[in-house]
Amino acid sequence: MPLGPPSSAIHIQPAVSPHMQNAPRTPTSITIHPVALFSILDHYLRRKDDQDRVIGTLLGTRTDTHVEVRTSFAVLHSETSEQVAVDMDYHRAMYDLHHKVNPKEVIVGWYSTGSNLNTYSALIQNFYSQETAPHQAIHVSLDTGVEPGQPAGVKGYVSSPVGVFPKPENCVFVPVPVELRFRDSERSGVDLLTSTALSSSSTSSQPLSDLTILESSIQNVISMIDRVLTYVRAVLAGEAKGDAAIGRYLMDTLGASTDDLEKGGFNGRLQDTLMISYLANLVRAQAEVSSRLALVTAS
Amino acid sequence: MAAPSMAAALAASLPAPSAAPTPVAPTYEAIPPSMSTLIDVEAEISLECVQLDGLVVSKILKHACDSSSSSPIGLLLGIDLDGVLEVSNSFALPYHSGDDDDKSAKSVARYQASMLRSLKEVQGDDSIVGFYQASTLGAFFNQNLIDLQAIHQDKLRHGGVVVVHDVSQTARGNASFRAFRLTSAFQDAYKKSNFSTASLASHQLTFSSILEELPLKIHTNPLLSAFLGEFSSPSRNALGSSSASAIPPSFSVLDLNSGGLTKNLEHIVDALDNYRNEEGNLAYLSRQIARERAKADNYVAKRKEESAARVAQGLAPLPEEDVTRLFKIPPEPSRLESMLQLGQVDAYAKSLAETTSTGLVKMYAATAGSGV
Repeated sequence: MPLGPPSSAIHIQPAVSPHMQNAPRTPTSITIHPVALFSILDHYLRRKDDQDRVIGTLLGTRTDTHVEVRTSFAVLHSETSEQVAVDMDYHRAMYDLHHKVNPKEVIVGWYSTGSNLNTYSALIQNFYSQETAPHQAIHVSLDTGVEPGQPAGVKGYVSSPVGVFPKPENCVFVPVPVELRFRDSERSGVDLLTSTALSSSSTSSQPLSDLTILESSIQNVISMIDRVLTYVRAVLAGEAKGDAAIGRYLMDTLGASTDDLEKGGFNGRLQDTLMISYLANLVRAQAEVSSRLALVTAS
Repeated sequence: MAAPSMAAALAASLPAPSAAPTPVAPTYEAIPPSMSTLIDVEAEISLECVQLDGLVVSKILKHACDSSSSSPIGLLLGIDLDGVLEVSNSFALPYHSGDDDDKSAKSVARYQASMLRSLKEVQGDDSIVGFYQASTLGAFFNQNLIDLQAIHQDKLRHGGVVVVHDVSQTARGNASFRAFRLTSAFQDAYKKSNFSTASLASHQLTFSSILEELPLKIHTNPLLSAFLGEFSSPSRNALGSSSASAIPPSFSVLDLNSGGLTKNLEHIVDALDNYRNEEGNLAYLSRQIARERAKADNYVAKRKEESAARVAQGLAPLPEEDVTRLFKIPPEPSRLESMLQLGQVDAYAKSLAETTSTGLVKMYAATAGSGV
C-alpha cells in the first residue's frame, strides 16, 4: 500500500555487521496512522502566511527495524535565510502532555510538509536524533500537492552522516517505504471519512443505520459483479483476450455454493437470532413501561 | 479596495453617532455584510446541528481503540457559526484509574489548561465546545457523563454538547457518532438536585428524556478530501501496472457472523441485575419512610385524642409539639441512579435488537439464492 507517487528509489537494507550487534538497527519500514496524517494536514492549513512549511513531532512505537507512527503534534519553528529555530520548550511541554495520555508512545521522529530537503532539514534531523537516541530519528515529508507539479504523497527517510568529518548540517536522507496502517476496528471510521470526502458537499449526516451501510455495500458488490460480467461477456464474444489468472480468481470466488447453508446449523442459528431479537425487543418494552410506571406511582 | 469603501457605506447607513465623545476604539476589519447576520456575541442563535471535522473523527476513533478505560473522555474544540457547531479539533483527557478524586481532578484541570495554551500557540482552536465519550454497545448513560455535561451546559457558550461514539458498532462496520445535550426539564431537576418521585413526575422525566439528540454531520476539508481521494484510488507504480490503493475497499459488513451477541446478552443481564439492586434499595428506603411516617401519624393521632379527652374533662389541651423533631423521617431517595440504570438496560437491548435485525437481513439474503 504505497502512500505516495511512484519513486525509483531502491530501499537498501544494510547488513548487520558483527561488531554493531548491540547498536539499534536502522528502521527499514514505516507505517503511519491516519490520525498522524490528518493532524499534519490540519497543521498545514493553519500555518501562518509567511511559513513555507510546517514541522512537528511524530510519536509512535518502534520495534527492531520497524517504526509505527501513531500520532503527531505541531511544533513552532521559524526559518529565515540565515537561521532556523525550533521551539524546544514547546516541543518538550507538548510531549509531556501527550505522554500523560499515552505513555506507550515515544518520540520517533519529525515531519515536515513539502518535499524540500535542505540544510535546515539536516539540522532539525540532528536535533531529533538527540531526542530519539540511541535509536535513529525518522523523517516523514508530506507533500500536500498544492504546489503545481508536485503530486501529493508521503515519503519517509532515515538519515546518515556524510563526509569525512560529519557535521550536523550535512546528512544524506535515505528513503524508507511508508505505509498507511490502522486497526481493523477503525476501518469503518476511515470508510466513513472516505465516503464523506467523495460526496459532493464533503459532508455526510449521522447516524447511519446498519441497514443503510449494508445496502451500500451490497450495491458495491452488485456493481463489481456487473463489471466482471461485462468482462466475461467480452471474453466470450472474443472481443478481449481472456486472462487465465483472472479466470482462476473468478472460479475460486464465485465457486462457493450455498448448499452448505442447509447443513451446519444455519437454520438453528437463524432461529437463535430471531429469539434474541424478540428478547431484546421485550426488554426494551419492559424498560419503557417501567420508566412510565415510576412516574405514575407518585400520585 | 473593496473593504474600506464597504465600511464607509456601512457607516453612512448607520444613524449619526451621538455627540458624546466615544473612546478611541481599536480598529477592526470591517465585517462583510454577508456575515453580519451571523455575528452572535450573546449566543442568541440556537444550535441546530453539530459538525465534526475529519480530524476529530479519526482522533476519537484512535483514542477509543487505544484507551484502557472503558469510557475514555476527551474535549472538543471549535466554534459555532450560524447554528452549526463546528468541531475542528479535540484532545484526549488522561485516564485516571486512581482513587484520589480531588487530586486527579486537579491534574486534569492542569492538563487541560496547558493543552489549550499549547494549541493556541500553533494557531489551533482553543475554545471548548463540549466533550466526547466512547462507549460500548450503545450504553452511555452514566453519572459521570451527566455530571460533566451539566457543568458544561452551565459554563460553556451554547451549553456545549456531548458526542457519543460507539466502539462496538464501529467494529461491526458502522462508525457511529451522535451528539447530545441535556434537556431543559432534566437540567431543572438537576439544578435543584431533586430526583424524588414527585419531581420526576412533574418534569415528566424518564431515561429517554434526559438527553436530547442534535443532528450530527461529518465534514472533511478540501485538502483532506483530496488526500483521501488519492489514497482510495488505485495508484500506478513505476512499472506502469496498477497496484492496490492505500485504502482498499472493505466488505466486512457483509460478514454473516454477527458475533458479540453473547456478550451483549451478558451485559443486559448484568445491567438488569444492577437495576434490580437499585430498585431493591429504593423500595427498602421507601418502606422505611412509610414506617417512620406511620409512627409519626400514630403519635399525632394519639396526642390529639388525649388532648380531646382533656378538653372534655375541662382541662387545658396539651401544648402543640413539633413532631418532626421527635421522628426523623428520612428524605426521599434520589431516583436518578435507577433511571440511569434503566437507561443502560434499554441501550443494551436496543443495540442487541439492531445487531440481530441486521443479522437476520443478512441471513435471509444469504439463503435467498439457494431456495431454502
